[in-house]
Amino acid sequence: MGLSQPDTTTAAPPTGGTRKRRMLHLKTKEECRLGNETIQVWTVELPSKHAEGILKVIKEQIEGQDNIDLQHLRRFAKPKYLPQHVIGKRDLVKEMYAVPRGWESTPPTVIQASSASWEWSSGSARKRGADRSLTLYLLVCPSNVIQLRGLHDLMLQYPPFCSSADSWAYPLEIKEVTVPRLAPTSPEQADQWSDEYWPTFYRKTNPFGAHPTSIGKAEADLEDPISDNVSVSAMMELAEQAGTATEKLGYGISTGCVIVERADDQTEIIAVAGDARGKSLPSEGGSDDANIDTSFEDAGDKKTGGAFAKKTARKKRKKKEQQIAKLAEVNACTSGNVMCHAVMRAIGMVGRKRLRVASQPISTRAAKAESGFYAAGLQRDEKARDAFFLDLPVTPLEQQYFTRDNLKPDGYLCLKLEIFLTHEPCMMCSMALVHSRVGRVIFKHRMPQTGGLTAERVRNDSGPVGLGYGLCWRKELNWQFMCWEYTAFKYASGSARQYTDGKTSAAGHVARRTGATAGVQGKAMDRNGKAYYGGENDDEDDDAKDDADDHPKHTTTTATATSSAAPGDENANSRMHSLAHVHV
Amino acid sequence: MVFGPIPDREYHEGFMRKAIEMAEMALSSDETPVGCVFVHAGEVIGRGINGTNASLNGTRHAEFVALAEIMAEHPSSILRETDLYVTVEPCIMCASALRQYGIRAVYFGCLNDRFGGCGGVMTVHSDPAVDAPYPVYGGLFREEAIMLLRKFYVQENAKAPDPKPKKNRELKTEILPISTPNVATPGGSTPTIEKGRPALPILEKAALVAKAQLKQ
Repeated sequence: MGLSQPDTTTAAPPTGGTRKRRMLHLKTKEECRLGNETIQVWTVELPSKHAEGILKVIKEQIEGQDNIDLQHLRRFAKPKYLPQHVIGKRDLVKEMYAVPRGWESTPPTVIQASSASWEWSSGSARKRGADRSLTLYLLVCPSNVIQLRGLHDLMLQYPPFCSSADSWAYPLEIKEVTVPRLAPTSPEQADQWSDEYWPTFYRKTNPFGAHPTSIGKAEADLEDPISDNVSVSAMMELAEQAGTATEKLGYGISTGCVIVERADDQTEIIAVAGDARGKSLPSEGGSDDANIDTSFEDAGDKKTGGAFAKKTARKKRKKKEQQIAKLAEVNACTSGNVMCHAVMRAIGMVGRKRLRVASQPISTRAAKAESGFYAAGLQRDEKARDAFFLDLPVTPLEQQYFTRDNLKPDGYLCLKLEIFLTHEPCMMCSMALVHSRVGRVIFKHRMPQTGGLTAERVRNDSGPVGLGYGLCWRKELNWQFMCWEYTAFKYASGSARQYTDGKTSAAGHVARRTGATAGVQGKAMDRNGKAYYGGENDDEDDDAKDDADDHPKHTTTTATATSSAAPGDENANSRMHSLAHVHV
Repeated sequence: MVFGPIPDREYHEGFMRKAIEMAEMALSSDETPVGCVFVHAGEVIGRGINGTNASLNGTRHAEFVALAEIMAEHPSSILRETDLYVTVEPCIMCASALRQYGIRAVYFGCLNDRFGGCGGVMTVHSDPAVDAPYPVYGGLFREEAIMLLRKFYVQENAKAPDPKPKKNRELKTEILPISTPNVATPGGSTPTIEKGRPALPILEKAALVAKAQLKQ
């Protein structure tokens, strides 16, 4: 559905550059594999009057026969509605067996006289309508659930396939046929599949993702917000500022997260958090940083004023940079404190705020649970715990939104909240969003090697675009949410495939090399360089870079280039890791 | 195999016993009865139970609570020499976090067929990714782990947005044997029918029983 918007091949460039990006709803895992995925199933023909009996046997005796949802297929199909290849050649012997015989219903008390004319049936059965099928085809189960031999032996134990006192065995013939694995998305598709595979139902829903009307409503809410409400562009900018803020302090990489509550059509910004994976833990000599309040106040050096304050701030920052460098050496993967990814921190802040605004009964219960921790003898070093989870603000920007008591009291986790992210979150953060029951997620940059939300693996025009987890909408999990990529207008408008402008591409490539691939840890240490992400990206270069980010091909190529960098580059690139390899 | 033979099983059972004790403690304080311990050089360095109720944060799983205790005294690099013992298979979130932190190995009791990340629903521990995979060993005190969960899920969750009345629930005690046709081998490829895709849910029969109860 992502690219299903009208293909505006002529009107690709945004008018006047007012809207460079648009929300592009992500395909769900199942939408991605929709194509024509099929599955092999066993089917068996049997006289109609035994249909229910045999189905009962299957349901009771074959374990896992309904593990795979095949509700879109008829369980029983009349031969006349089946494609020819399913029915196969006409089998006269079988037809003969299918005819009800007179003595089956009326036990033979009289031996038929040799002179009497032979009867196939009592006659009354035939009159019940010519349309009534004598036999039906039953869809037994997927063929990987039970072996042919096992199914064969099972069927032979029950009528009509077993001989009994009053009936001859109906010839058992089990066939393996191919059927559509997933439900059709249109009546036309259902008709086509019925002709090609097996009688198929169409139900008027989207079984593979959010209903198109809810997607449309969400896009309207965010792209054309009513007065006083937040817009997707403003929230994305705020998320970028949050990332820039923590990065400038040397706490982490420049990724950010904003959480918004939309209640009664009014929006409130609940939490703002930047990545802080590099902020040292108490165990890593950062215990003095545990006092969060002071550490961000002297960082906002303009407000604190005074040359001395500035100097100490700079000193402190330098120390932190060294700590990060040390951290990078210690951790081969330079992942730092994984718990301080922007999403995890923001979710934690929401929990904190919930505790603060909770009504009496809720806070009592939370306090009771807390005391249970003491009772359990779990170590209670709150400072250390807070430094680990870092679910308290560490920058003035985060503080500004954290202190507002603007969350509706007694809500459940992050139920139905809106999440704005600079980057596609990693698997941990993606699943954290599922656990937190979020409503809508919008991210700006895809992370093809680490992201957990994208379901697509490959795009024709740009190569790999994701790992294919698609955690935003997996039936297997107990929560689904809508998810958008906030992408360049040209991709969202469906003209992505026209992206062949070599010049732009090259520019994007170069920008990407010099910018993003300069590396996360490297960037955190590079005080002279400008922030490559976030802030106001209004000049052309940044545009090109943004486009490159949307075009994961460049990500992949440059990532390879970086990792195989010549030894001479090592100085510049030491401990610098392409963002492509980083969990965000 | 996730439920394959575990070398030196008794040694590992000793630590799993400690994890079970944590889970029992969680149950008595109305938290989801999942418990864990992290073990470094034969010594428990972190213990955890779910902290969701206390923090109103749905991501505060037992593993994370224990990690907080560890990181108060150790650098995160210690995890590369540390094993986790947890009564229920780590969820997708925790499985990914553990991989990013570089955990050495994970031992668990029963599968988590709702959101397990080490074979239950997905195989985050071994899928192709930028971080090194880690081995998982399941089945230590599996029955006890399942019974703890069942005891919890027959209770009502008054905090859920739409609490379901569960008065008619009864605690079932029958535990069916393991049947995991598609489970991954640690560090190996994804155990899918079609290669390269995350696994279909593996329906552990025992967990199905609990699930059936949930639906009642």
